[in-house]
Amino acid sequence: MSLLKEPPPGVTVDVDQAHTKLTEWVVHMEGASGTLYEGEKFQLQFKFSPKYPFDSPEVIFVGEHIPIHPHIYSNGHICLSILTEDWSPALSVQAICLSIISMLSSCKEKKRPPDNSYYVKTCSANPKKTKWWYHDDTV
Amino acid sequence: MKVRIKGWTGVATWRWVANDDSCGICRMPFDGCCSDCRLPGDDCPLVWGCCSHCFHIHCIMKWLQSQQLHQQCPMCRQEWKFKE
Repeated sequence: MSLLKEPPPGVTVDVDQAHTKLTEWVVHMEGASGTLYEGEKFQLQFKFSPKYPFDSPEVIFVGEHIPIHPHIYSNGHICLSILTEDWSPALSVQAICLSIISMLSSCKEKKRPPDNSYYVKTCSANPKKTKWWYHDDTV
Repeated sequence: MKVRIKGWTGVATWRWVANDDSCGICRMPFDGCCSDCRLPGDDCPLVWGCCSHCFHIHCIMKWLQSQQLHQQCPMCRQEWKFKE
C-alpha cells in the first residue's frame, strides 16, 4: 500500500484503528514546514461506504485541533470539490491527504469560513449531505 | 540413439500488455481480476480509452454507470471514449 510505503511528508495512518474497523480510518497529519501550519498536528477521519471507490469517502477533521482555514469549518467539515462532485475512483487516500496538505499550505491567512457559525449550526453530521458551492480556488 | 516422443504437455503463461501494472480504480494487478470476479483472463478483460488509460472493463463500466452528467476518465478527466 503506497500510503504506508511512501506517504506524503507528515502523514501516517493509524493502523491499529484501521484494523479494528476497516471502513473507518484515522490519518495523522502535520502541517508542512514553511507554511502557516508548520508544527501543528491534525487528525483526519475517513469513512468508506460499501460503494467505495465509486463513491467518495466521508473525510472530516476530528479531535481537539481543527485547522483554522477559510475552507475548513470548526466542526471539521472541509469544502473541497474532490470529496464530492469532482471525485474520481482513481483518487487514493494518499492523493486526498496530499490535496488537503496542499490546501493548508497555500493558505495566506488563518481564518474560518465567513459562514462558519451558521453552517455548523445547521449542517448534517455527514459533510457529503451538504450542497457545497465551490467558488474559491485561491487557497 | 533414437528418441521417440510418446507425449508432451505444453505449459504457457500469459499477461495483459498494458502501460500500467494495476487498475487505477480497484488497484488490483491487471494480471489478476477486478474485485467482483474470481478468475483473471478473458472473463475480466481490460479496456482502453482514447486517452490511453486502461482499466478492468467491469471497473470502468461501474464508474461510467454511476456518472450521470459527464463520463470522464478517472485518471485524466478527459471525456471517456472507448478506444476501437
